[in-house]
Amino acid sequence: MKYTEDDLEKELENQEYKYGFYTDIESETFAKGLNEDVVRAISKKKNEPEWMTEWRLEAFRVWKTMEEPDWANVHYAKPKFQDIAYYSAPKKKPKLNSLDEVDPELLDTFKRLGISLDEQKRLANVAVDIVMDSVSVATTFKKTLGEKGIIFMPISEAIQEHPELVKKYLGTVVPIKDNFYAALNSAVFSDGSFCYIPKGVKCPMELSTYFRINEGGTGQFERTLLVADKGSYVSYLEGCTAPERDENQLHAAVVEIIVMDDAEVKYSTVQNWYPGNKEGKGGVYNFVTKRAICETNAKVSWTQVETGSAVTWKYPSCILKGNYSVGEFYSIAVTNNHQQADTGTKMIHLGKNTKSTIISKGISAGKSQNSYRGLVQINKRATNSRNFSQCDSLLMGNECGAHTFPYIEAKNTSAHIEHEATTSKIGEDQLFYCNQRGIDTEKAIALIVNGFSKEVLNKLPMEFAVEAQKLLEISLEGSVG
Amino acid sequence: MLHIQNLHASIDDKEILKGIDLNVKAGEVHAIMGPNGAGKSTMANIIAGKEEYEITQGNITLEGEDISELAPEERAHKGVFLSFQYPVEIPGVTVTNFIKTAINETRKAKGLEDMPAKDMLKMIREKAALLEMDRKFLSRSLNQGFSGGEKKRNEIFQMAMLEPKLAILDETDSGLDIDALRIVANGVNKLKSKNNAVIVITHYQRLLDYIKPDFVHVLYDGKIVKSGDASLALELEEKGYDWIKKELA
Amino acid sequence: MDLKEKIIASHIAFENKTNVKSDVINKIRTKAFQHFETVGFPSKKMEAWKYTSLNSVLKQDYSLFPEEDVTVNLSEVKKYFIHDIDTYKIVFIDGKYSSFLSETTHDKMDICLLSSALAKSKYSAVIENYFNKIANQDNLTALNTAFANEGAYIHIPKNVEVEKPIQIINFITGSKSATMMQPRNLIVVEQNAHVQIIERHQSLTDNNVLTNSVTEIFADRHSTVDYYKIQNDTKTASLVDNTFIEQQSNTECSVHTFSFGGNITRNNLNFYQKGEHIDSILKGITLIEGKQHVDHNTLVHHIEPNCESHQDYKGIFDERSTGVFNGKVIVEKEAQKTNAYQQNNNVLISDNATINAKPQLEIFADDVKCSHGCTIGQLDEDGLFYMQQRGIPKKEAKALLMYAFSNTVLESVKIPELQQRINRIIAKKLGVNLGFDL
Repeated sequence: MKYTEDDLEKELENQEYKYGFYTDIESETFAKGLNEDVVRAISKKKNEPEWMTEWRLEAFRVWKTMEEPDWANVHYAKPKFQDIAYYSAPKKKPKLNSLDEVDPELLDTFKRLGISLDEQKRLANVAVDIVMDSVSVATTFKKTLGEKGIIFMPISEAIQEHPELVKKYLGTVVPIKDNFYAALNSAVFSDGSFCYIPKGVKCPMELSTYFRINEGGTGQFERTLLVADKGSYVSYLEGCTAPERDENQLHAAVVEIIVMDDAEVKYSTVQNWYPGNKEGKGGVYNFVTKRAICETNAKVSWTQVETGSAVTWKYPSCILKGNYSVGEFYSIAVTNNHQQADTGTKMIHLGKNTKSTIISKGISAGKSQNSYRGLVQINKRATNSRNFSQCDSLLMGNECGAHTFPYIEAKNTSAHIEHEATTSKIGEDQLFYCNQRGIDTEKAIALIVNGFSKEVLNKLPMEFAVEAQKLLEISLEGSVG
Repeated sequence: MLHIQNLHASIDDKEILKGIDLNVKAGEVHAIMGPNGAGKSTMANIIAGKEEYEITQGNITLEGEDISELAPEERAHKGVFLSFQYPVEIPGVTVTNFIKTAINETRKAKGLEDMPAKDMLKMIREKAALLEMDRKFLSRSLNQGFSGGEKKRNEIFQMAMLEPKLAILDETDSGLDIDALRIVANGVNKLKSKNNAVIVITHYQRLLDYIKPDFVHVLYDGKIVKSGDASLALELEEKGYDWIKKELA
Repeated sequence: MDLKEKIIASHIAFENKTNVKSDVINKIRTKAFQHFETVGFPSKKMEAWKYTSLNSVLKQDYSLFPEEDVTVNLSEVKKYFIHDIDTYKIVFIDGKYSSFLSETTHDKMDICLLSSALAKSKYSAVIENYFNKIANQDNLTALNTAFANEGAYIHIPKNVEVEKPIQIINFITGSKSATMMQPRNLIVVEQNAHVQIIERHQSLTDNNVLTNSVTEIFADRHSTVDYYKIQNDTKTASLVDNTFIEQQSNTECSVHTFSFGGNITRNNLNFYQKGEHIDSILKGITLIEGKQHVDHNTLVHHIEPNCESHQDYKGIFDERSTGVFNGKVIVEKEAQKTNAYQQNNNVLISDNATINAKPQLEIFADDVKCSHGCTIGQLDEDGLFYMQQRGIPKKEAKALLMYAFSNTVLESVKIPELQQRINRIIAKKLGVNLGFDL
């Protein structure tokens, strides 16, 4: 049979359709390794202005002088930084109009959760930016947002279209020197989301970013910059997934949030990076720097559900600079099998009458280690500042560990700090009670864990809460013999 | 309905039940009385399937089927309900969510679909009214911060929702004031039918004024030492358990 | 020459002076010395020293081996003893035993000197069995071990209930220069024995004093040990106290630390539970002002099942003082049914005072009850108002509130005379006379 060029074209088309984005889009991936030329090349690829290239190079030079931190309560083989490809992107931008073209695996995950992402988002009226291997592939609802003056776009585009905003705010909350991974991210980030809410605007819908590591042997370094101008409000959701790979993948993101006077930002994360298999092979190293700065009467609220990653190192923080500013941190961290999580928050009280709340729920199962690490610092001028912290751990089985490392520093007499921590297990009597009512043990555990995590789940936007709840269940599957 | 034959059970090699025989038919109410430590709660827990007890001899059958090897939830699915003497607290799980899960799990075990939310709501309202329970009460965490009376009322509420074949009320009267006792007993009486059976475990005659037993058994030192009709409970109330002890000695 | 070099240079002279026959002990000391040579003094870069800097203390020019034979009149120092009850006393002046001020016994137990225990062969079995067995390798502990020579040696045999408390008191006269002391105590309490010990370090000079003390306590099965540390030294005296306690099954050991005086005080208190049904009690009251700094660094290591630990530390910080609480509880995998409680409550009286707290839990067992609570706050305004309304002046009312605040620690002191003494010190510190003993 004759094989014509027409046939070939058709086949290619079909293939692209048939296999979709995940396997068939040819990626352009840089050779492994990192040096100034690579940094320049990334910048060039993105067609960035000179100042941006310089900024990256400065970050790279700083990074070279820094050492990888090892104070966290996690143990892992250090990533070989010269063995990672620092840029990987779909070769050409695919025409993606609806979410179900995006990634079968992602959708699979959600199907498993009993949620159709597409439906969810459409129903919930959520604007979504999808970042795949650090490159933003689809931003929806751009127009609706544009009418309100809200800018929500990949940061690579924002550098082109709104350089004055990016230049003004990038690196002001997380300076390039902040820490090893932040410096690395500053040098090599390839994309991420940028969001600006103008003065007095209440964002009419949830903004959402989905992060996805797709290619093997790459790191994901995305950068999120969120600016809420005076009196504005936005709720921002972030979801993360990655395919199963035997190797460890590095994810070193930076999120910067600027909350101006009287503004409010809610930032919710459901992190479900691949945690590695039962034996602890593979999985994502999740080393993330997230920080918000609050001006007068501003409020930031971090909510996170951490169920994935082989190793997590993450402390979403609040700098309460303005008087009467408020910081909140609500966290559920679940570790199973060989996962390790060292997560918590920093609440830096600088302004007067500042208030912070920390609710952390750690659930450890299998052979995992789960640590809460937090800092509450009340500075000298932060008169009448308050903090309440509660860290509860639930242990399942006898091979896991739960650790609490709170740092509390107070330099002001009017400070009011309360910290409470408890550790418990699921009681035999609780299980028997549930069993007696006809609920089997697996379900009973899910029920009890859900109850344990309630205070945090309640803080999530509705559709995320449902996802999170199911994720908890899936994460703990098979954790009881 | 329930058939217990020569039941011996122990915990940590200590024998607690030393040969119990009990026959409960549908439509009957049996009262088990006896002094502290006689083994009353143990018996209730064993029927419900608590794992730390070991059945060393004898068997338990429910409608002809031996249930002594079944998991607690499987027994529950077959219609065994135990109203606990000390109901546990489950923080963060509301009364509504808990009972919803229990009902749907039981339905699942029977191959039924989840109960439609509308029906569930209707049923919850109905049964809550039966037990004179506040709406707010339903949204509180299960048993957390409940008073003794609230806990017991909640147990009977769950019984009403689950509609068991065999309900075992383990000292449901303890910690109840007179009004709560009346409400609880009233609830139980309303739920009683010719198709189900109730075992009431109690120290005192008090509860039996409201829930009239067909049979009264005295459990002492792991054995049923005396059985009779409702008048036995009155006699016990009057003469005390020493009377039984003397009679046995 | 900095202090580390000076110490290293003095070691040969020290070795020549001491009289230890046991090779085992000499080896331990040499090894510790070599370790200190490598690691030196702790710095703020170390996690355990994050909030406490010894720099200002370490830069003094200390005399390491003070003059021999200084005498001190009883009348001058009587106030530092608990003298209203009969006690055994082991008193050192500048690191030398003062037989004049002491009252010891070799009757049915040994309450005597470490130097003679180290030198005499009849003690060698006990010494080799216990000496430096639980002291760790930390910088300052190693330094102490390298120079370990003098201190209290207490050995309570089986079934002996010591009828009166033992006081261990170290006076430092240091009239000519700054002085560094390194006392070393070894306390062995055999099965079913019971002992109460009160320890105090007291400078009698305005010159700088640095004491680096190590105490090892071994509690065999069914024994009870109550240890009280009174830290009410002068403003030029600094203390690093390293105490290690090993408990066997069915023992109850408590350490109360009362920190009122001194310049920089660092308490490293370590409990190791080596059996079941153990209770460990760690309590403290810190009441400081000026530029004082008190750091409580505790460790309770739950190794076996069915044990408990109770920590309760209260701190009141005025003026420019700094308080640190760094409490760590480790529950090993085998240590099921552990109950570990930790409570740390602090009150800041002045805007220049600082409190840094780091209560840590590291838990590897699932069937445990562990909790910690940490608060930083102020005195109860309503309570203050209530008392003022009833005519109690503000100062006294405040004192009463502070007293109430620290009472959970005080009330567990088992020696009534000591409790009264602490009460009086607190009242004096607070500058109140309430017309009755608090």
